[in-house]
Amino acid sequence: MIPSDGFVVYVALSEFMAVQRISIWQKAPQLVLSALLIATVAVPLGCRPRDGVGNTDVKVLDSYRGDVYRSLDPPKQFDAASSRIISHIYDPLLDYHYLKRPYELTPNLLESMPEIGEDKLTYTFKLRKGIKFHDDPCFSGGKGRELTADDVLFTIKRFADVNVNPQSYPALLQNRIKGLDEFREKTRQQKDLDYDQENIAGLEKVDEYTFKIVMIEPDPLLLMSFATNALSIVPKEAVEKYGRKLEHHAVGTGPFTLAKNPRKGVMVLKKNPNYHGTYPTEGDPDDQSQGLLTNAGEQLPFVDEVRIPLIEEAQPRMLKFLSGELDSIGIDRDNFTKMAEKVSNEFQLKGKFAKQFNISSVDALSSFYITINFRDKVFGQNKVLRQALAYALDTPAYIEKMENGRGHTLNTIVPLPIAGSEQSVSVQWYSHNLQKAKAKLKEAGYPEGKGLPPVVILYGSQDNITRQNHEFLRAQLAKSGIQLKGEFLSFSDYLGRKEGGSFQLASGGWRADYPDAENFYQLFYGPNKAPGPNDGSYQNPEFDRLYEQMRRMPAGSERNQIIEKMALLLKADVPVVFLKAPISVGMRQKWLLNSKPNLMLGSTAKFLDIDTEMKAEGLK
Amino acid sequence: MVGYIIRRLLYIIPTIFGVAVLVFVLFTAAGEDPVRVALGQHATPQAIADLEALWGLDQPLWRQFISFLGQIVTFNYGESYFTGEVLSEAFASGALVSLSLTLPPFVFGLVLNIAIAMMIAYYRDTWIDRFSTATAVISMSFSYLVYIIAMQYFLAYEFEWFPINGYAPGWDALPYLALPWLIIILVSIGPDVRIYRTIFLNEMQANYVRTARAKGVSERSILFIHILKNAMIPILTFTIVAVPFLILGSFLMERFFSIPGLGDLMITAINNGDFPVLKGMTMYITMTYALFNLLTDLLIAAVDPRVKLH
Repeated sequence: MIPSDGFVVYVALSEFMAVQRISIWQKAPQLVLSALLIATVAVPLGCRPRDGVGNTDVKVLDSYRGDVYRSLDPPKQFDAASSRIISHIYDPLLDYHYLKRPYELTPNLLESMPEIGEDKLTYTFKLRKGIKFHDDPCFSGGKGRELTADDVLFTIKRFADVNVNPQSYPALLQNRIKGLDEFREKTRQQKDLDYDQENIAGLEKVDEYTFKIVMIEPDPLLLMSFATNALSIVPKEAVEKYGRKLEHHAVGTGPFTLAKNPRKGVMVLKKNPNYHGTYPTEGDPDDQSQGLLTNAGEQLPFVDEVRIPLIEEAQPRMLKFLSGELDSIGIDRDNFTKMAEKVSNEFQLKGKFAKQFNISSVDALSSFYITINFRDKVFGQNKVLRQALAYALDTPAYIEKMENGRGHTLNTIVPLPIAGSEQSVSVQWYSHNLQKAKAKLKEAGYPEGKGLPPVVILYGSQDNITRQNHEFLRAQLAKSGIQLKGEFLSFSDYLGRKEGGSFQLASGGWRADYPDAENFYQLFYGPNKAPGPNDGSYQNPEFDRLYEQMRRMPAGSERNQIIEKMALLLKADVPVVFLKAPISVGMRQKWLLNSKPNLMLGSTAKFLDIDTEMKAEGLK
Repeated sequence: MVGYIIRRLLYIIPTIFGVAVLVFVLFTAAGEDPVRVALGQHATPQAIADLEALWGLDQPLWRQFISFLGQIVTFNYGESYFTGEVLSEAFASGALVSLSLTLPPFVFGLVLNIAIAMMIAYYRDTWIDRFSTATAVISMSFSYLVYIIAMQYFLAYEFEWFPINGYAPGWDALPYLALPWLIIILVSIGPDVRIYRTIFLNEMQANYVRTARAKGVSERSILFIHILKNAMIPILTFTIVAVPFLILGSFLMERFFSIPGLGDLMITAINNGDFPVLKGMTMYITMTYALFNLLTDLLIAAVDPRVKLH
């Protein structure tokens, strides 16, 4: 029954002992062996735990997490794992539309989008009435009370408190709201401030459901900060009752409540029956035909329970998905060639996988590129050399061979699903051309690469995939005469070298904090030079002028024209060489309904539904 | 004996101090900068300063080291930078889980491997010996990872004999632990049997065995009474020093089977540069290793009357 070496040895040992006619006391090892073998092998046989099998009464969404979360307290989270869990339980004021692309802000806890005053500085927010926090012992009688404007103002102040949030304030609210930076400085000097006693010029309560935010200067992008999970609304009572324990406890207004929360193991979330949200009633043109509007207008969430085990390794994750124990999964590079293929720009599953599962693909909100350091003596002053580099790289081949086709080439720094990308501006990046690369190299003073010392590129990782990618780039550039040498560093060393300006080229990437082109073009804004986001310390006064103009403008064709000019300047100056905009490919079980990838939402669980009969059948 | 124990315990102090210096220098000078890892790209200098202040990394190094020594003395390593967990609690719960993963197969493997080694030694120079030795060498040639990946795939996924991975507290953990136990036992057979076989063969050639045979003592008595008892001394040494590592768990096993033990805690901490966890774990390993070394010496003295401790 058990064809293991242990069993064979056990039999041999029994025979040996029998032959030797060893007395009872001498058979002790044999008896121990028997007991332990039975315990090891017989107990689990036939009792493999598979939750939810045959149970059609409870809708369970089987999800997973690849990393341990760091904190469930919204202003303290700064990692994807925490953000994802938080988005199940808490609500930010605004959210991104589940179905519409490009990504579009929608009111979440608000009655409507905020009203912008004539001064372009004052935003008036009106909360929806009747939204309640989850039932929790922190509230009087254990019943969740109604959300009010006080909760929002408390949340913003707490977010700005340096003792609570040393991390995400600079990126989201610094230099934006009148008086808030001063309040933050005050918290640096004085811990445990009573927020209620602190008046901030830019935060004003109008009534129980209305408040105003006054900005320092016009900034249409501010609203996107209020759609991040870090600015989800936290009730004061929970902070007072739980203190630091709020990092592992959660009291929000979100679609699910935290039922079980082991740091590792299976986290269990239960449906919030009082949730305020409803399924969207409109979407993209294809959404209706794909059944994504079947539940339009219905109360969310649809599933009763979300189970989120921690599975850190790729193999067990994939095996659990294949056996039906997970409802969806991303396909990694190793599994891609076995399970899927790209046919005419469409991703398809192969053979048995196509029969059993559905495939999904989505353009990621990130760009990958090679940053060129303008402070480097060789590259910094030699635009033609930088252009030679751009011609020398065959990015379509890179995407095809190193990423199995899971990516786009880039014409601008902005990935496709984001407003201001190449879909709304007309710019063509350098195409691979070995002749032109060699000609540019000659023009730069390095014919056939002669006289050009080996070019060093930094990587912030030491894993095999990074080294394989480097080998590909090295071989490509060698064809035009450029010798590339890789330096593989720990992440913090890599950041230190970039910020110190001690590099020639650096492999890099940027994921959108919010879905707007500004978030990518700030990487080239002069005043942001290293150690700021402009790693290569690119300087172009004209670019800076256009950037400052663009960041204060609302989305539209006029703004796109400016973005186009900026993209053309980058093309001429080549402060980076583009590599790819990734495409995430995943599989989902056929019983998973309403599934449409949305990378701006931490979690889409509240929109998902399960065909429980199909799932029960599939798990048998 | 008491004087010996006190002297040995005192020897541990400079050892721990030396390791503390080494750990502090290594993680401070060569490890990942936890603040940079936490903040990611493009952190402002103020954000870096704020987080350093929160974690006490803005203090002079000598003060950080003194604080570290204080933690070693009080066994209180504070909290994880990244998860905010109280480390004394995390270590205690993680150690129990790791022990539940490693102790049963360790005990079972010990009995099994001694039994196999005895059998092979008994049949030395026969096909059983040659076949078993060759099998042991072949089984040692495969990486631990190969066993995990292959057995998880075939036994858990294809044959559905075990859960693919996961963990539950208490007795509910049994089904989840069964496959990891089986793998640990299998992986231990090759190297352990080879060592034990050598030990048994050495004993079989000893003068006291020849004398026993000359006296007409039966082969089974020689094997199970004389040889086994004498062979237990090196086996005991080999076994007891492995105990601290049992508590630490099996890094890969915990990772692949999602078992929340100390091994996985350590890997996550290394990836994040979570200095409090790394400091605590390293010092914990040092101390338990030193103590179990002492315990080994005491036990050897107890089982072997020829050994005297001064």
